[in-house]
Amino acid sequence: MTMLRAERVTLGYGRRPVVHDVSLDITGGGVGLIGESGSGKTTLARAFLGLLSPISGNIWYRGQNLKKADLRAFRKDVQPVFQAEALDPRMRVGRSIAEALPRTARARVGELLEQVGLDPALADRRPHQLSGGQRQRVVIARALAVGPRLLILDEPTSALDVTVQARILDLLASLETERLLITHNLAVVERLCRTSHVLFAGRVVESGPTSELLANPAHPYTRALRDAVPKLGGAPPEAASAPGGRTEAVPAATGCPFRLRCPLAVPACEQAPVARDVAGRQVACHRAEDVLSI
Amino acid sequence: MSTQGGQVIEVRDLQVRYGGRLVADVPELDVGAGECVAIVGESGSGKSTTLLSLLGLTENAEISGQVRVCGVDVLTASPKALRQIRGARAALVMQSPQAALSPATRLGVLMRRALKLHGRPATDEVMARALETVVLDREILRRYPHEISGGQAQRFAIALAIALGAEVVLADEPTSALDVTVQAEVVGVLRRLRAERDLALLLVSHDLALVSTIADRVLVMKDGAVVESGPAAEVLAEPSHPYTRELLEALP
Repeated sequence: MTMLRAERVTLGYGRRPVVHDVSLDITGGGVGLIGESGSGKTTLARAFLGLLSPISGNIWYRGQNLKKADLRAFRKDVQPVFQAEALDPRMRVGRSIAEALPRTARARVGELLEQVGLDPALADRRPHQLSGGQRQRVVIARALAVGPRLLILDEPTSALDVTVQARILDLLASLETERLLITHNLAVVERLCRTSHVLFAGRVVESGPTSELLANPAHPYTRALRDAVPKLGGAPPEAASAPGGRTEAVPAATGCPFRLRCPLAVPACEQAPVARDVAGRQVACHRAEDVLSI
Repeated sequence: MSTQGGQVIEVRDLQVRYGGRLVADVPELDVGAGECVAIVGESGSGKSTTLLSLLGLTENAEISGQVRVCGVDVLTASPKALRQIRGARAALVMQSPQAALSPATRLGVLMRRALKLHGRPATDEVMARALETVVLDREILRRYPHEISGGQAQRFAIALAIALGAEVVLADEPTSALDVTVQAEVVGVLRRLRAERDLALLLVSHDLALVSTIADRVLVMKDGAVVESGPAAEVLAEPSHPYTRELLEALP
């Protein structure tokens, strides 16, 4: 069953839209939202948490329009996990977790700390007395306290050292709770999400099974992202550039937003592409077939 | 003073202490012209302290050993001698250069001032050429620091180093706050400058994958100590220290 669904959602601040006409489903196996700075991924997360109403379009939670849904139940079911700065610095972490629990279940704090791989004795510490990885585990324990159905994870490991990140990813992969993961890190998505959506300039440019999407991208931006990730012992990362060496980071205002730095751009790209089925996924690119055959 | 034997940075038995506590212990570190050496490690490993101590920028630290940068003995040099290499012959690029740029000064004014300060001709032509090497439009000189992106800011910092005639760039996590596609641009610029100008590069990074693609040699640091060092290809393909192995295995 689709837990959360965005249907032609446009989001923005004031009158300026930053997410355009996005449709996507959050179903089993983990869903990834991949994007760089300014792609609109965190704005979408806010909408999925019910913190931002769409300018147009609808968000459905278990078949119910979020505008009319029981927000009390919704807020218990859908829990955010952001970067670990989200802890009250003055509060002992045990109390931070207990706050989320019913009064009669406060004894579960120790159990939750154990579930996320922490010594229950750490409950008496304040956030600054813990390491970054420990703090992130506390944030996850607090999210799990209410028994959520869905975790919305926004860059949960980006601020952590790699060895710490690896252990937090192990923890997240072991949880049975459904997840939406928002990140710029392709490797993390590959690990935790069966399906992924790639965002560029507020639009979903490619959606499909994560492994296929990364192994053989059908959108030039997905390809550019993948090729820019340095690989151990590999060639230096390559910047995508249009013919003439242009690596314009600014999206085009009309037509395909990626066309200014797309190596495959043709005059047809001045018309905005519509998402279509290509090789088992949804791709918004006039030249998807050519990208696949590179 | 000239650089001897092509070594731009020469470090022997460097120890940096804060309040008696040893935070960085580097027995040997050499960077030659046109070479890229990377110091890798996690938070608190002492990698940034090592980098800053090479330019005499560690305040309140007790430092011992020998450090020569562009031929200047950093630990015994006068403040004046230090100022002459800092920023000019040995340029520092930090994680967030925007934070280091004066927020109320246009980039053009800033670049002109830096050139004059170091006794260089501050002509439009010199500035335009420096910007060209990092693929930035001259138009950026009219902007304020908050009006440019992170990738542009890093490229501007590198352009400034080039305009000042830098022989070595010391960079502390220069791309870790950037998007991967932007990181690729900045790395591309640094690689080209190495090849074209024999620029030496000392890079501090936590990203082993990135380091493996651009560094000739690496030093792996943990808790202030160098646990392993050698040619990047060897260290990363066949690590001999368990911590290096742990770092490599942790790569997602």
